[in-house]
Amino acid sequence: MSRQDAGINEQIIKKAPIASACFMGLGQILYLKQYLRGAVYALLELIMLFFTVFESGTFIPNFRGPIVKSLVGLITLGDPKPDLPVKLRDHSIFMLVTGLIVLIVVVLYVAVYVFNIKDAKASAIQIVEKKRFPTYAETRNHIQEAAFPYIGLTPVVVLLAFFTVVPLLFSALVAFTNYSSPDHIPPNNLVDWVGFENFRTMFTASANNSWFSAFGRVAAWTVIWAFASTLTCYAVGMLFAVVLVDYRIKIAKVFRTIFILPYAIPTMLSLFIWQNLLNGTFGPINRTLIELGLISNPIPWLSDPNMARITLILVNIWIGFPYSMILVTSNMTAIPSQLYEAAIIDGANKWNQFKSITLPLVLFQTMPLLIMQFAGNINNFGAVFFLTAGDPKVSDTITTQAGATDLMISWIYKLTMNTPNMYNLASVLSILVFIVLVPFAVYNFTQTKSFKDGEL
Amino acid sequence: MTYAPGKKRHSKSSTVFVTSILYIFLTITVLVVVYPVAFTIGAAFTETNSLASTRLVPWPEKPSFYQFQRLLTPSSQTVVGTVDVRGTNYLVWYRNTLKIAIVNTLCTLAICITSGYIFSRFRFRARKPMMATIVVLQMFPSFIGMIATYVILWRIGGLNTHWGLILVYVTGSIPFNSWLMKGYFDTAVSKSIEEAARVDGANQITTFIKIVIPMVKPMIMFLALSSFTSPWMDFIFPRLILRSDDKKTLAVGLFELINGRANDNFTMFAAGALLVAVPFAILFMSGQKFLLKSMAGDGTKE
Repeated sequence: MSRQDAGINEQIIKKAPIASACFMGLGQILYLKQYLRGAVYALLELIMLFFTVFESGTFIPNFRGPIVKSLVGLITLGDPKPDLPVKLRDHSIFMLVTGLIVLIVVVLYVAVYVFNIKDAKASAIQIVEKKRFPTYAETRNHIQEAAFPYIGLTPVVVLLAFFTVVPLLFSALVAFTNYSSPDHIPPNNLVDWVGFENFRTMFTASANNSWFSAFGRVAAWTVIWAFASTLTCYAVGMLFAVVLVDYRIKIAKVFRTIFILPYAIPTMLSLFIWQNLLNGTFGPINRTLIELGLISNPIPWLSDPNMARITLILVNIWIGFPYSMILVTSNMTAIPSQLYEAAIIDGANKWNQFKSITLPLVLFQTMPLLIMQFAGNINNFGAVFFLTAGDPKVSDTITTQAGATDLMISWIYKLTMNTPNMYNLASVLSILVFIVLVPFAVYNFTQTKSFKDGEL
Repeated sequence: MTYAPGKKRHSKSSTVFVTSILYIFLTITVLVVVYPVAFTIGAAFTETNSLASTRLVPWPEKPSFYQFQRLLTPSSQTVVGTVDVRGTNYLVWYRNTLKIAIVNTLCTLAICITSGYIFSRFRFRARKPMMATIVVLQMFPSFIGMIATYVILWRIGGLNTHWGLILVYVTGSIPFNSWLMKGYFDTAVSKSIEEAARVDGANQITTFIKIVIPMVKPMIMFLALSSFTSPWMDFIFPRLILRSDDKKTLAVGLFELINGRANDNFTMFAAGALLVAVPFAILFMSGQKFLLKSMAGDGTKE
């Protein structure tokens, strides 16, 4: 089955890409004898053209196909049709999501189009260099080797596109609309683009703008929380790690096993239990303290704003210290004992040994994890939501829904899930969280082995 | 333990003093760590329902299985020995969660092992942009986009279904786990073994299944364990997607059992929590070698 010497013309290097640029697959069919590949490309273009040209339902070729309509819908977000029943009116949010999906399909299509032109050129060059068309077996092998990764990754691409990329883009776009209760909730009402209006609402400082003051409070608490929760867990974990390797403690293993317990219990359950233990009136902790005569009035563990913040950090230590303890212990075993022996000869006491050997070495080893824990704590939804639910309420909570212990992330959740829904303002905050996380993403990226090997 | 400083410098009496201080300190910590657990166990075996009626010492006056009985009776029936006390859907939630966890594990394994292998072994044009995208996507909590997720599931009929929730879970785990597997394939499986198999005539698929998969078993164990455990206590997406009570997972069911109703249900919640936490802790303790290793950051270096 030789296709050799079919009169190879060097012109095809120019002609094939140009033909493929005019219509996908044309160059492959006309000049490169890649009939199947060309047909697949051409079919793709035909499908796209069909959905662009023919109006859905009527099949009238008026260039108002679903693709065009969806993209137009993405821009207009629908027209008011007050005379139609609610069910038939334009639904701005559906239009936004559909528009985004179509946009992604179009972008992928353009990428395939460009790939098709490059592919035509590459194939033409190969053919000219070898002075013959590839045999059937060569083509088949090539497709098997080259296509496997693409076929294998198709589910990944589809899932990520629909359930990660579209939702993220969507929530970024909503920040520029007025999608909020009570006046702009489809299908009764339309949603419109409003530019930077929501950012002005959130970030304009004025005496009667409770959004800005709530934002300031939540942002400050989020930062304090991220530092405090990360550092306290780490410090307490390290304390126990160091104490438990002391030669004077005989049953260190027993203690260590007990201390791992909070880590083995699902966090959400621990938080619920703590919430009830700390209940102001009925909680056993207050009842016990009163019974013992240590306090006369119940301690407002979760109902006083500052007390609730401290309680949150304390309970978080209970949940989080075992992990740090294990982490530090495993890193300490890697420190060579000669270092300590030398220090003892030099007359260093325990504290000096800890300060100059254990702490710096362990800290250096665990720094990347500590930084990622910090990023994780910025988004620690569970701790806040299940222990305090963001409460106690403060003066502006009725307007802004943000309580005294709400973090950015739990505030976003409340604005999205509770009525009145403020999707637009929640999205502004999401974008902010996004921006805050970028440095961590970059750091995380530079820590990967692939990056260090110069692979990416 | 290599950390063993000398003892010579201390006089005997000061050593005894410091040691007892350390033991007192550790004992107090043990009490703080164990108290919530002990209290929960005590509450679960209490006959009365409310938080206020629980005893301060963590053992009930007269132990009773009433709360377990109440919890495990189907919601359509009344609890044995009572006239009007209805059971709960606890067993249904348990089964739902188990089902979701198992399917999620299988799908995650299939997808992430394949994609990790492809990223590790193949060189193709879209590789670098895709890997960079994955590293970036890994950083964002997926519930930031929950409204769009909700709309998309609505359009494809995935609301109030378990497969809709599983789709969201699997997708959410792809970036981190693919990257993890890629790193592991890079270091744990040498290319020469694979190439030898290929030379011997095994094709791509056979090599992958017979040679490569067995070599990455530890990482697969970790992946299976983590994707099996995560649906048990995830709250946001089941709450968003699953509406009817018989579709709910344990996290949502337990949340609604206790939220704002500590006076009616606290002891029953304690019983429910116990029935989740005990198998969980056992699973954790038996699998902790894998979990801890990977969490300590050297899972990929093993």
